[in-house]
Amino acid sequence: MGVRRYTKMAYKDPDEMVFGHAKFPVLEHWNVQFGAGYVVPEVKVAPEAGTERSKETLVKEMASIAEQAASRAVDIGLPAFMLEQEHVFQQTYHPDWGYACTLAQAEVLKKYYDEYGVRAALRQTVGDLRIEEKGGLRGSEYDNRIAETIEECCKAGASDIAAETMGGKSVLDYGVMRGDIKAILFGIGYLGSIDMEYFWTRAVNICSKYDTRPAGDTNCSGANTCMYVAGGLLGKDMSHTAAALARAISAARSLVAVECGATGPLKDCGYENTIIKAITGVPICQEGKNAVCAHADVMGNLTCQVVDCWSNESVFHREEMGGPTPAVWLQATGYEAALMNTAIQTGNAKTLRDLYTFTDMFRDPQGTLLAYPNAYRVGKAIVEYGKDIYLRARAAALEASKVMMEAYEAKLLQLTRFELDTLRKYTSILESLPMEAEIFRDQCMREYPRKIPTFDPKSYGL
Amino acid sequence: MALLDWAKKADFDMMFKRYNVIIEGPAIKPEDDADVKKVLPKDEPFKSLAMAVIFGDADKAVQAAKSALDRVSPLDVIEKGLAKGMDAVSALYAKGAYFLPDIMLSADAMTAAMAVAEQKLGRAREKKGTVVSFVAEGDPHDIGKNLVVMFLKANGFEAVDLGRDVPDKEVIEAVKKHKPVMLTGTALMTTTMTAFPRVAKALQEQGISVPVFGCGGGAVKRDFVESYDMGVYGVKAFHAPKLAEAALAGKSWKDIRKEYPKIVGEFVAEYADRM
Repeated sequence: MGVRRYTKMAYKDPDEMVFGHAKFPVLEHWNVQFGAGYVVPEVKVAPEAGTERSKETLVKEMASIAEQAASRAVDIGLPAFMLEQEHVFQQTYHPDWGYACTLAQAEVLKKYYDEYGVRAALRQTVGDLRIEEKGGLRGSEYDNRIAETIEECCKAGASDIAAETMGGKSVLDYGVMRGDIKAILFGIGYLGSIDMEYFWTRAVNICSKYDTRPAGDTNCSGANTCMYVAGGLLGKDMSHTAAALARAISAARSLVAVECGATGPLKDCGYENTIIKAITGVPICQEGKNAVCAHADVMGNLTCQVVDCWSNESVFHREEMGGPTPAVWLQATGYEAALMNTAIQTGNAKTLRDLYTFTDMFRDPQGTLLAYPNAYRVGKAIVEYGKDIYLRARAAALEASKVMMEAYEAKLLQLTRFELDTLRKYTSILESLPMEAEIFRDQCMREYPRKIPTFDPKSYGL
Repeated sequence: MALLDWAKKADFDMMFKRYNVIIEGPAIKPEDDADVKKVLPKDEPFKSLAMAVIFGDADKAVQAAKSALDRVSPLDVIEKGLAKGMDAVSALYAKGAYFLPDIMLSADAMTAAMAVAEQKLGRAREKKGTVVSFVAEGDPHDIGKNLVVMFLKANGFEAVDLGRDVPDKEVIEAVKKHKPVMLTGTALMTTTMTAFPRVAKALQEQGISVPVFGCGGGAVKRDFVESYDMGVYGVKAFHAPKLAEAALAGKSWKDIRKEYPKIVGEFVAEYADRM
């Protein structure tokens, strides 16, 4: 299928959005549905360091993770869950490893489904091994191996395929380190969108041959890099308002996977997913307070607001006092999902949604931006320029800026001088950028290839 | 909508506090900061050179260097002017008055002006020492390594940047070739960070000892790094030059592990037991 650009919103009003419900639910094998009226808990566990030394040890590790998660699901009475496995390098680099690891987990989940009826989805997130300065993003050995591994995972029984592609990262990193919002826009919004179309057109085609959904992509390498570099309230590497602008831009970029045919549930670490759900109506995974095992963020409750699959993000495979981490962290996400499902069943979903949102809405500008009524506004700005990958990314950032300034002026959101200064400065730069994508591209191509040695324009057809 | 009603009524202080706003002091000019005053040259042309670096203005820094070279030696331009500006920038960053982009722009200004001085000198200025930096094999995430390299260069070290996704063998060869005072490795993922003990072991097997093998990155933690010889867990990229200087001063990796907070000169939660 071709690329279908979004020029209108799936939801007429942000208040229509609530957790556990999506306009376009997704059904995966073993009878798991996402966005169909309930929230599914997710668990994701990184294999113990050293188990990647051979195919056999890694396969055994994968089976063990699945077994520990599934048995805890039954022990605490979870109706359904998702097991996601983010690939380590070897799992994607060797397609036969990818196949064997997926098969090992699929067999465990099927066994539990057959024996107890516990519904389980198996997500395989392939690693984006591609490196611009090592053969480029298109047609390199790494690139070809990713495609082969996606196919092998589909054959082995993956319920869906996700990714965290890296397109535009060399330019984005430059922008982050130098406080260059134009580079951030070019890296995520323009180059990232081009690469997403290349990657997801192919991934969707592969998945369509199997009972495997092409789920979607997150701008982990871009907007999450910004969020991570921005850090906590005392962080001194990036302004939180700048990180919020990068997040808004990333929504225009991550949307491309859906435009290529990805169905959701979108990948958990895409904090931009609320915006994309508002535009497309596809279900989303999210992470927050039950991802403390992986990182700190400043919106742990807010991200529950319209989630369909609630994740722990990632944790080492090891023993906690409460058991092995696949069991412990599925229990954590499982009880949070249970609370949301209880709210749905008792008619309190919108109240709980608003409590989640309000907890973090003014804790930080990133939360202000992603609060669902504001995320919806950014979505509207994107679809207004839906057919132009540059203009819509620029519009998303400008709308995000308005959202934050309004909250600041209403004395609801407090900002430091640094946060306010960068917001004003970046907004002014964004406003001054051209209204034609070609002119913007030419400006950037005159500047960034000479400044960034690892940027390979050919990887983007430029 | 409930959110708007709640926003009118809620006492946010009972829900959260934006400590960054609370602790923010009044805006002051960088040159008025007490720590900057301690390092900022008082005389010209050095003050102008340092100020151009402090403000991250590459054009002004180059101009100031060209003009200063009529009066003072290239080495003085670098040591008494540009480097002092960078010292001031580091002080401002450490106390949270400057942010990463400020440091990068200052480093760019220093690099541009230093090139002018070195051209006149006819050679590169003598570096404090050599550091080899790499991202683990299989890992494409290099922003941490790039920061480490930038901080090292800005502080007068020769930084040999091996790039990302670097095979162990290349790291070993580079260590043999450059004999660095410090090796740094970064990794985002738990399964790529296993390159560090492999590299450490291979170095030992070949009878090569590096004073410090600084390791850090997303999933990397202190207990892992301290599980193999030579490893020192690096918490922040800007700590790298201080660790390299400690190695230059004769500290071993064992010393640096013990004295990390003292060496980097600040509270480091990850080393709270060694404060």
